[in-house]
Amino acid sequence: MKVSRRTQVYWIVGAILIIAYAIIPVLWIVSLSFKEGDDITNKSFLPTTWSWENYRTVFASDLFTTALRNSVGMALIATTISVILATLAAYAISRLDFPGKRLVLGVALAITVFPVIAIATPLFNLWRTIGLYDTWLGLIIPYLSYSLPLAVYVLAAFFREIPWEMEQAAQVDGATSWQAFRRVIVPLATPGVFTAAILTFFAVWNDFVFGITLTSSEAARPVPAALAFFQGASQFSQPTAPIAAAAVVVTIPVVILVLLFQRKIVAGLTNGAVKG
Amino acid sequence: MAAIEMRNIVKEYGDGFKAVNDISLDIADGEFMILVGPSGCGKSTLLRMIVGLEDITSGDMVIGGDRVNEKAPRDRNLSMVFQNYALYPHLTVFENIAFPLRLNKKVSEDEIRRRVKEAADMLELNEHLERKPANLSGGQRQRVAMGRAIVRQVNAFLFDEPLSNLDAKLRGQMRTEISRMQRRLGTTTVYVTHDQTEAMTLGDRVAVLRRGFLQQVASPRELYEQPVNMFVAGFIGSPPMNFLPAVVAGQRLQLPFLEVDLPAKAAGKVTDGQLLIAGMRPDHFEDARLLDPAKRERGALFRAKVDVTEWLGDSQYAYIPFEANEEVTRQLAELAAELDSEALRTQLIISIDAMSRLRENQEAEFWADTSRMHLFDPRTGENLTRDEDAAADLAHLEEEELRERTTR
Repeated sequence: MKVSRRTQVYWIVGAILIIAYAIIPVLWIVSLSFKEGDDITNKSFLPTTWSWENYRTVFASDLFTTALRNSVGMALIATTISVILATLAAYAISRLDFPGKRLVLGVALAITVFPVIAIATPLFNLWRTIGLYDTWLGLIIPYLSYSLPLAVYVLAAFFREIPWEMEQAAQVDGATSWQAFRRVIVPLATPGVFTAAILTFFAVWNDFVFGITLTSSEAARPVPAALAFFQGASQFSQPTAPIAAAAVVVTIPVVILVLLFQRKIVAGLTNGAVKG
Repeated sequence: MAAIEMRNIVKEYGDGFKAVNDISLDIADGEFMILVGPSGCGKSTLLRMIVGLEDITSGDMVIGGDRVNEKAPRDRNLSMVFQNYALYPHLTVFENIAFPLRLNKKVSEDEIRRRVKEAADMLELNEHLERKPANLSGGQRQRVAMGRAIVRQVNAFLFDEPLSNLDAKLRGQMRTEISRMQRRLGTTTVYVTHDQTEAMTLGDRVAVLRRGFLQQVASPRELYEQPVNMFVAGFIGSPPMNFLPAVVAGQRLQLPFLEVDLPAKAAGKVTDGQLLIAGMRPDHFEDARLLDPAKRERGALFRAKVDVTEWLGDSQYAYIPFEANEEVTRQLAELAAELDSEALRTQLIISIDAMSRLRENQEAEFWADTSRMHLFDPRTGENLTRDEDAAADLAHLEEEELRERTTR
């Protein structure tokens, strides 16, 4: 089908608008992070002189570096646990017939749409009583309860795509259920596992509500929450530029993750398994 | 290697539907058994019950003398080729074939390499060992699936319509290949198909199933020549057997186009004026002008108008439409529906010499070998003229042939 010139032009204009809408705020933050001192009031998009000053400030501050450590640590732990549990749960949901299967999926969906802020206050009180307040574990638990249903949902969809015969073939070949799962199903579900892992990691990495309500010190405060307490070099000026620099720093791991695993996420690994 | 015995096997689903109904079947050690029937007849379910992927509702499944009803698939020591091959896409061809061996910790790496090599040699897969299944053609994938099946020493091979995804030419080649492989390894084999050519050419014996019931188990030759009922007669053979209305008139039988003596076998089983269905295979007819004079004695001559002819080079078919009464038409339509085909009109399909220059829409003289005609009861479908002695002879021949092959 030949697309008319007119439609082509509309498509291009539309695409440019959407890209601009998404990327201008990001570029703006990047540009801000390179502005030195009072340069943020220079009334132009680009800095007058490019400077690394804000980045030096950010990394010199204990507040930021410990928060970064907290964020990375908690995100990795929560992601790992969540993906392992979700893989097992999703496999059971897609393969086994057990009473309450639909209920499990329904509850999982309900949790993902449940407003986070609604449980923040009760959790705050509960955690203070049982001593989980302001600890890594205190944050990882609510992270898990929100990321697990999401991961289960993503993985269940992937498992359903894997032909039943794969597993039956493995069983006939002499594999136990566990061997069939580990040697055949998991490798085939790798794209799904990575997708689930990245989604979980993003969700945890970007969390602000739990981070700000369930912490009081640097012991467990993650980056998004820490930025709110950021003071910059001088107490008397708004630390806009250093916050921008910190924002850029926390965005970089996410971008790297996506670039690294982009190829892994590509579905279609099951190509050639069965004659379609 | 082992014999497989099935005793009163039943598969009943939750809704009470019986996919497999009271099937008893003995498969001898080293035998090539075919399970055949139209779709939905329970043949695949039965195969999956042998391998253990489907639970057995009742009855006994005995493999090599052990009852295996409660055993997991991996404890039954069988190997299976799936219809869609079910290769492991993340593994190379070598690793796919080696997979069953790797699960057994006792097999050494050298042994694995030797056995995979052996299987790959037999199936001519050597140059593809490092490739992934996605990069293989349909026929190559099929061979990998077979390699995975033969790499172990198993009690039996199970095939679930392995050739149905290949194109016609490749199917013919692979059919011969499977037959050769089975003869060479001498392993008991159960093969499910809905293709009657595969059933006839591959099997030592063929089990014909219909709606979960076993109709007849016999050598291909016996199924073709001495079917027990109308279903088996109609299912085996291509083009299918012709079914004609036949009315008993004293000691004579009136068919469309011709009248013959009532066969001796049927005498006493029928009453005067009764409507029967006569079954005659296309190759029991001939163009009278090209007939071998020695054959003329055995049959009868008749004149009929040919509607369409199909010339295929080595053979030729002629179609002769005829009028049948309502009851017969309905019967034939029902049978056709069950055989996954459609009876558009009542017609006689006859195979004539390829040399015949018969023209369409012209009347000609034909010969029918009425001595090989079968008569069926239209209500029960039962074959009234089955020759038990001839059937026993054929069964005996088949048994002898199998014994000769397996003891060699």
